[in-house]
Amino acid sequence: METVAQTTIPRRAPATVMRLSRLGSLHQSRLSFMRILTRRMARENWSFSRPVFEIDDKGVGHAVYSATGPDRTYSLIAFAHDLPPDMRSDRVIATAWDATFTLFDGVPTQADIDRLAKNVPYQEAGRVSESELSVSRANRSVRLWEHFVDALAAGHQPDVQKVAAVGYLMRTTAVYGSGKLGAADREKSANRAETLVPFQIEMLSVFLTRAFVRDLVNHMAKTKGGDAAVDLAPEIALSLGIGNSTGLGMAPYIVNHPVLFNNWIVAREEAIARVRSVATATEKETNLFRHVLRRSETSIDRWTSEHPIQIGKLSDLQDDLVKINAFVAADDLINDYPWNRLYTWAEKTLTEEGQELIASLMLEPYGDLVDGLADCMADFDTDAFRIDGAMTVKDVHAHLEQCFGWGFFKDWSATENCARAWYVSEEKLEPRLAERFEEPVAEFEQPLAPARDAAHLHAALQDWPSDTPVAEFLLKHPEHRHMVRRAQINARAPYGEIHDNTISADVLPIDMLRCKLAFFGATRFDPRSDRWVRISMYGGAPYPEDLANSDADRWVYPELEGRS
Amino acid sequence: MTYALNEVEATAKKATRGAAYTWGLAEEAAKATRWLCAQGVDGCAVLAGLLRATDRATDMAPMSLDGDWASESGQLCALISGASLSDCAYRLPTGAIRMHNVVAPQLLLPFAAAAARHLGHPIAITWSGNTVIVSEAGLCTADIPAIDVADLVTVKTADASGQAVAQSTRAAPLATDWAYLNELAARTYAPATEESRLKGAGSGLSDND
Repeated sequence: METVAQTTIPRRAPATVMRLSRLGSLHQSRLSFMRILTRRMARENWSFSRPVFEIDDKGVGHAVYSATGPDRTYSLIAFAHDLPPDMRSDRVIATAWDATFTLFDGVPTQADIDRLAKNVPYQEAGRVSESELSVSRANRSVRLWEHFVDALAAGHQPDVQKVAAVGYLMRTTAVYGSGKLGAADREKSANRAETLVPFQIEMLSVFLTRAFVRDLVNHMAKTKGGDAAVDLAPEIALSLGIGNSTGLGMAPYIVNHPVLFNNWIVAREEAIARVRSVATATEKETNLFRHVLRRSETSIDRWTSEHPIQIGKLSDLQDDLVKINAFVAADDLINDYPWNRLYTWAEKTLTEEGQELIASLMLEPYGDLVDGLADCMADFDTDAFRIDGAMTVKDVHAHLEQCFGWGFFKDWSATENCARAWYVSEEKLEPRLAERFEEPVAEFEQPLAPARDAAHLHAALQDWPSDTPVAEFLLKHPEHRHMVRRAQINARAPYGEIHDNTISADVLPIDMLRCKLAFFGATRFDPRSDRWVRISMYGGAPYPEDLANSDADRWVYPELEGRS
Repeated sequence: MTYALNEVEATAKKATRGAAYTWGLAEEAAKATRWLCAQGVDGCAVLAGLLRATDRATDMAPMSLDGDWASESGQLCALISGASLSDCAYRLPTGAIRMHNVVAPQLLLPFAAAAARHLGHPIAITWSGNTVIVSEAGLCTADIPAIDVADLVTVKTADASGQAVAQSTRAAPLATDWAYLNELAARTYAPATEESRLKGAGSGLSDND
């Protein structure tokens, strides 16, 4: 059983943590879902196999990749397609892809594969069953794919400069889990040890997809070059991640799952508080931090973006790194609560990018204090949904004020405060963001503006005696039911609400995407607009067959060149 | 065809919102429909029945939570009444709640079950001379009397619950009900325009790179 960590330094307050600009500056950490998965698979000595690889000379066919843990096997079934360039789109409205996938619960029979071959390539237009746990698809990075096939077919390795500029051969454009398209509900796997942590199914699917993509590019090069072709060099393969292109659809997720979101944030905040509470670090721990900091610099050097917002943030982060290096060079980081001193200094000195980088990096030496928190990141609180009607109007108001008091007296009819409206389009049934005063979508608005709704609830509660049970208020005001529920949930899950306006003229949905993707463990955030971002997953990670003999944890930080 | 319970929940929420209920009540309908399906009851049929009867109707809420519950229009909506029943769980240990002329009374069961979980005590729901027991574990009565409108529903704490039914992991709604729910759900979708496609979702940049 885990010993209870003593924390003398409290967690950071929700009002500090839950601002959009900070959430939009989060970095991956020990508690990222990809690293949790690779650590587990290595620790449990999972085995991997490729029982089927039937891909023809045009690159069309299917393959099966199986991963076996202590209790069961999961299999990625990959379908490879010959996609005309004019059909290649990362948008959710696409209807065809370079490759499509499903993660099968067990080992599929030929009948399963035949059934899935008629459905998975069509994605939303197909149906899967309770035997499948996720459905996903990916497109090639055209510039890199062709270069790889040509180079390998001609017998030499691809240009590493080009590899570094893109970072992946394929990017996934959606990974659906939890009952989507007929797949099994989350409940089927929620109580299994290996999938109790959120998004382990999806992360496993992407981990296996990366191996498939490497094998496919080797296959295509061999087909083209015959005996002259060579296999992709392991060190180049290692540097490749899987890209991901994520749009607005993911942004409402963190608003729609306040308990789950709270549990992610609170796990990381508790980890930060535990490490800040370490009174004295050992030399080994401090050296490990210094080493990971240097490796992290390499990672940040490779992070590029063409988007003005991210270019500015990256420049700030580079400036922050200079300051961090000066600080850690002058400090032994051993005595007198070293990590708290470092963090407190960072809070006063660095941008939010830099502060959050430090907050994530200082967890690295402390797996024993941090890693057990992963088991607290799922949403087990099924009772949080029920409204407690006995709660008085006064208490509801107090909970509301905790997270939304800052917005009670904002003018919510002013254009700049409600310029945007979230809605779902008829065309593809996906969330979008409109200009409220330019497009006729107000009647279709989704409940994704909790701060505004809280202000309206606050005003409505004023007319009621403070000791009234809220059940009576809700009978007369069902329009506030959604927000009363959120206020009560926030009392149990105080990190579940964004402390910012999600419909203001200057809201950046990419902040919401960045936060969620950082918890996945993504790197190289590259916004394509204020509502669309590309990232890299698993770059530097061992491939399945190497997992047991490699660093299954800190692969996210590139090895320092020319050093041991 | 079978559906994941997550699909049922998502569809029920949109359908209820499409039928002009508030978001908060739509969320209740979604969880309630999912709960019914998980107990092996055709929750989609129950919700579709309620929404057919109440679509855009008004005055189907209890006028007051004091005394017997009855509506201005004469018929009580089981969704609104169910939500209030769950809200008022704290009253059940001290007395029964009686409701008059409830449309789709089966939809009260998930709310009674929420109250049972909160109280840690089974609850009995009686209409037309039949009593259904729900507990923390779920539905404890195999046969739910089918009826469109119940003259009188009595909800009170029960002495014993018996065994809960086996939980289902999939739902198999009738095609007509599923189509009707999706028809209502479609009312929540905004028509797309070329402008909204570009503005609303992403960038106009090419993905062929």
